[in-house]
Amino acid sequence: MPGLTDSKKLELRRELEMIVGRGAVLSDPDELMVYESDGLTLFRALADFIVFPTSAQHVSAVVKLANRENLPFVARGAGTGLSGGCLPTEGGIVISLMRMNKVLEVDYENQIAVVEPGLVNLHLSWKVGPRGYYYAPDPSSQQACTIGGNIANNSGGPHTLKYGVTTNHVLGLEVVMPDGEIVWLGGKTRETCGYDLAGVFVGSEGTFGIATRIVVRILKTPQAVKTVLAVFDQIDQASAAVSAIIARGLVPAAMEMIDHLTIQAVEDAFNCGYPRDAAAALLIELDGLAVGMDVQAEHIVAACRESGAREVRTAATEAERQLLWKGRKSAFGAYGRVSPAYMVMDGVIPRTKLPYVLSRVNEIVAAAGLRVGNVFHAGDGNLHPNILYDPRKPGEEARVVAAGAEIMKVCAEVGGSISGEHGIGLEKADFMPFIFSVADLAFMHRLKNAFNASGLCNPGKIFPTKKSCVEVGPVAYRPHAIEEKGLAQRF
Amino acid sequence: MPDGLTEKLRAAVGPANVLTGIELSPYVVDGRTPEAAVFPGTIEEVAAVIAMASEVGRAVTVWGGGTATSVGMPPTGAGLVMGLRRMSRLLEHEPGDLTATVEAGITVDEFQSALRSRGQWLSLDPPDAERATVGGVIATNACGPRRHLYGTARDLLIGVTVVTADGSVVKGGGKVVKNVAGYDLPKLFIGSYGTLGVIVEATVKLRPLAEREELVSVRFERLKDAGAAVKALAASDLIPNAVELLDGAAAAGAGLASSGPASSGGVLVVGFDGVREQVEWQRAELARLAGPLGGRDVRQLDAAAWPKLGPAARAAFGTPAAVMTLAVLPTQVAELMEQGAALTRARSLQSAWTAHAGVGVMRAALGSEPAPKDPGAIAAVLAEWRELARAGGGHASLEWAPLAVKSQVPVWDDPGAAGRIMERIKAQLDPRNILNPGRFVAGI
Repeated sequence: MPGLTDSKKLELRRELEMIVGRGAVLSDPDELMVYESDGLTLFRALADFIVFPTSAQHVSAVVKLANRENLPFVARGAGTGLSGGCLPTEGGIVISLMRMNKVLEVDYENQIAVVEPGLVNLHLSWKVGPRGYYYAPDPSSQQACTIGGNIANNSGGPHTLKYGVTTNHVLGLEVVMPDGEIVWLGGKTRETCGYDLAGVFVGSEGTFGIATRIVVRILKTPQAVKTVLAVFDQIDQASAAVSAIIARGLVPAAMEMIDHLTIQAVEDAFNCGYPRDAAAALLIELDGLAVGMDVQAEHIVAACRESGAREVRTAATEAERQLLWKGRKSAFGAYGRVSPAYMVMDGVIPRTKLPYVLSRVNEIVAAAGLRVGNVFHAGDGNLHPNILYDPRKPGEEARVVAAGAEIMKVCAEVGGSISGEHGIGLEKADFMPFIFSVADLAFMHRLKNAFNASGLCNPGKIFPTKKSCVEVGPVAYRPHAIEEKGLAQRF
Repeated sequence: MPDGLTEKLRAAVGPANVLTGIELSPYVVDGRTPEAAVFPGTIEEVAAVIAMASEVGRAVTVWGGGTATSVGMPPTGAGLVMGLRRMSRLLEHEPGDLTATVEAGITVDEFQSALRSRGQWLSLDPPDAERATVGGVIATNACGPRRHLYGTARDLLIGVTVVTADGSVVKGGGKVVKNVAGYDLPKLFIGSYGTLGVIVEATVKLRPLAEREELVSVRFERLKDAGAAVKALAASDLIPNAVELLDGAAAAGAGLASSGPASSGGVLVVGFDGVREQVEWQRAELARLAGPLGGRDVRQLDAAAWPKLGPAARAAFGTPAAVMTLAVLPTQVAELMEQGAALTRARSLQSAWTAHAGVGVMRAALGSEPAPKDPGAIAAVLAEWRELARAGGGHASLEWAPLAVKSQVPVWDDPGAAGRIMERIKAQLDPRNILNPGRFVAGI
């Protein structure tokens, strides 16, 4: 796309300011740079404008302007995404929803809340917490990430093992369609009239439009919670314990695995109480009724011991429980203690394939001469191998990316998926053929056309672009603008 | 058929698997007899049949157990019925993964009994489970009382394989319980009534069987009080797996009450599962909570009562004049039941009402005795019921009605501006409009 001339840019800036107000448009290159990446810093792209609307009408007017000018646009929340999904790869307008961050309505009796997309995930639980409710999807970034971003990626989190991912908690959305029309998909009731458009919209990675109001379910805070830490000398024992727990007919609220390297990092950073010499630990949480919980906890303990756990203990106090969870949820940050940089991978496998896939992950990373830390949702089979590297060392980043692709292939080979919660975005667009055929992708592209006929809404995401991949009629390869501009490079 | 389609179909799936003429009587919908009924045995055969139908522009209606074929606008043309009864295998069940993959034509009962033998189940309990197929349940988004805790197909379906309108085979989702790769095609096909593709395989999440399950009924003299009990239950620590509210007529239909249809009261039926201690504690808590609100006669029901709950409104009458489904906010349920029944009585007609009360999904049947003189009278009541739902921000659709009624009151509610997106989806995915045309929302 040819760049905008300075005079055109000035004219558009004025027009955008007419819509969202002065002080709500950025176009200075230094300011734009703040928005050039998300949580995955491998990719960078500069927008022409960042706008900060405060209403659906603002969003709609900006989108209509973009359509008129044939400018691409993309919604952005807190920028915590891990697949480059909100990058303006072809320039254009980034629509930041961060000023639309209100809880608009809470109906405790019907257990629903209506929120704006820029609301930080955890803030909803803070809002309804005093009345004994919470919002269940709890991505590790929940202190920063927004519910709108969660919608785009259909975000999960540790407790989705029992409670499901974002889509299971969304009843309806007000959406600014890619042509600027404001439409409600779904609503406050549990049944929709016609196709489940809300269900199709969630997880569409910002390519079907921009949500401006979201109706979510809020849940009653469980009467009781019990958190168990099981410590293992071998990682295979921890994998076996996951299967043993499921075989006993138990579905814990969460079942997280933390490996040796990650424990080192977490203990260095926070001193959370994980034994430093352990090969792996499982953090298992039960919640629900107080009555009967001890019986279930005994089953968990027994399953872990039978699988070879050397120690199984229950958090005695809420403070101890919080500390264990802090270790888990802050693990990504803690890697800073052991490595200058790391790349988070996200893949899913059938739970029974855990031992095999974990050993393959270790082989692949070792063969690349790198280290890996694993901290992940073991109960769901959702892996997060974090490959540690030093970006200052020539060639290391390329080896990380290549190892990541190998790991994704292994996930696909065992019948899994290339993303459990981080999305495809830019990062994995070229991995889509690992799990989807030409026909699958062509069908998805037709679905996209029904929502986003012009293609201006978050272009360049999800669908493969690389020459080496299968050519798929409408989504054949073309280099990304960021590649053409020399701002990013494919490996 | 003038274009020799029957012969081609016979060649594709075998002569024994194509029905014509008098054999088609089970496949008549709203008075319309299909040209042929064809029963493919493999995905390839489904694709071949769809490709043939597409070529000659013939409509195809997919047929599972035939339990929901009356839902929707009357068929616009004859076309083909495609039955999936020959595709009924359990393809994969790995208990350690809590997932299973089936062919779409397997009945819910067959699937559940295979799972049960290995200590698991699909937490979906639609009516007519002995005939309803997994594919049909997905296509119609059917469910039952346990949806209160376990949700519907949208919470359980993790992968689908479909044959699309151009005869290609497309997979969406996958076989793992958490997956955000690509668009969520399973959601697209749930409740799409065969208008976007033929569901041929499905992968679902499973749950372990609970140690114990119990169904408890509480009788209320006034529906209003039962409604208050539903609210109290929702605000409590209890975790029921079903919260059903039945008015007097429906309770009689389910064999739960001797009180006749005229009774103004209701019966609250609550399900609990878990370990023994949990079930017992919750039963006691329910009694403690319902008592002060007017709840009487707390009793455990036989497990055989479960499948009677969903169809209870319909079962209140030999042959109902019409059945409507209403989606509202949970707190509106009891009041709407009272208002809906009162409106019906004002027209000297009878009705029976049930609700998945905790989630606000209601079902109302209109009695056929005394027989309304004209379809207009039935249509008038149905329109009033729909207005009740709409007034509270909800919507309503006709689950069953005679043809003469369907022509006077729209089967589906108005989807609003979203209808245009639905039309665009249909146009993209079935451009020749051959998949169950004209029967769905927005004329799709």
